[in-house]
Amino acid sequence: MSHNSLPKYSRRSMLTAGGAAAAGAAFLAACGGTSNTVTRLGSAPTTAKLTDAQVTDVVLLRTAQSVETMIATMMSDSAFIALTDSATAPIVASFTAAHKAHVGALASLITSRGGESYTGTNEKLMVSYGQQALNLVADGKDKQDVAGLALALESLSCATYQYFVSLTSDPTLRSQMMRIGATSARRAAVVAQLINSGTQAFAPGIDDKGVATIATLPNAFGALNATQVFLGPVNPESGTRASLLLDTPSLNSLIY
Amino acid sequence: MENHSVDLPQQNTTSRRRLLSSLLAGGAFAVAAPVLATRVSAEGTTAPNRDARDNAALNALLDREAQMVATYAGVVGSLKDADDIAAFTLIHDHHVAYEQAIKGYLARAAVAGNRTPLASPSGSLPAIAGQLASLEEATMNQHIAALGNLIGLDGAKLVASIITTEARHIGALSIVSGAAPLTAAGN
Repeated sequence: MSHNSLPKYSRRSMLTAGGAAAAGAAFLAACGGTSNTVTRLGSAPTTAKLTDAQVTDVVLLRTAQSVETMIATMMSDSAFIALTDSATAPIVASFTAAHKAHVGALASLITSRGGESYTGTNEKLMVSYGQQALNLVADGKDKQDVAGLALALESLSCATYQYFVSLTSDPTLRSQMMRIGATSARRAAVVAQLINSGTQAFAPGIDDKGVATIATLPNAFGALNATQVFLGPVNPESGTRASLLLDTPSLNSLIY
Repeated sequence: MENHSVDLPQQNTTSRRRLLSSLLAGGAFAVAAPVLATRVSAEGTTAPNRDARDNAALNALLDREAQMVATYAGVVGSLKDADDIAAFTLIHDHHVAYEQAIKGYLARAAVAGNRTPLASPSGSLPAIAGQLASLEEATMNQHIAALGNLIGLDGAKLVASIITTEARHIGALSIVSGAAPLTAAGN
């Protein structure tokens, strides 16, 4: 006996059958429920999914506010003010007032974008280096620290705005932020001249002991690296002072 | 053996074209879904790196920087003191760097910069520094205004880094011009 009637599987029937099988598998998977069938001992705690944090223009403005407030707070700290004299006190007071004014200017930019103004300092940066700088100033009781820290803070302020340009989506806001940042850069140059005056101090150099001097114009382009400042008492063994690096805000110190 | 003929319901056969079309449509959706999701979640960071619409504004800044270079070149040639020459040569070189950086960014879209000096500052060193501080301030303000119209992020970052140092130029030159610290700081 011979069987010549072989089943005919056409391409069409194959595609139809394949589609039906895939749909059936999806249907069964959907009907499967969510119960965990894997046997386990004990109970695992449930974890809460972190909310997505987006770096928006409002976040950048709120962070800039926190940095401005931090600088104003540090410049009006009692340990810092105690080291000023008749020449430096009005300058420090004026700089502090300027940073407080920046907070207000930023507030209007925030509210016009539907955001909420931020009035606190940047706690993350205060913990990282702000409070440490104030402690060193209090311990050292060196009047040079007034200008040194002011220069570092003004440089930090300008670098913050310059860095935020790369994160800001609104071109108009980039311009508005740099207009504020430029005032800090200008103040930084003035403080640098108060520390090391004259045209010979424009470029980076070294003194008689081979130590780098404060330059009014240290770079051709605005730098984004951490600002280094030496503060506090001189270490009797090494003859040096403590070095602090002031970093611009990053993702872990933005005010979301 | 008895044969029964059964009348099965007529089935609508799906055409091969329709199957393939469905397959393609499903695949296209699967590919597009993550792309669409990314664009939504990347709010605030979707600005392009470059945009040809920025070229005109950047060429205007290039022109200004070329004029600043010519201005400082004239000033340096008129100075006598070695420290003063070194200081003003430094600022001259900064403006050369700005001109070259913008020209390098624009590449073939760059225009030849205007080599006409903006002014011929003369007199004592404080007088020269005061005139140059005014020119620096006008130049910085031109950069800040242009920054508000730049679409591309790379160009914006470059201009921002120039603004920072030109602001420092203003402060430094103002002090040399004899201005009081708070006046020089613009406070």
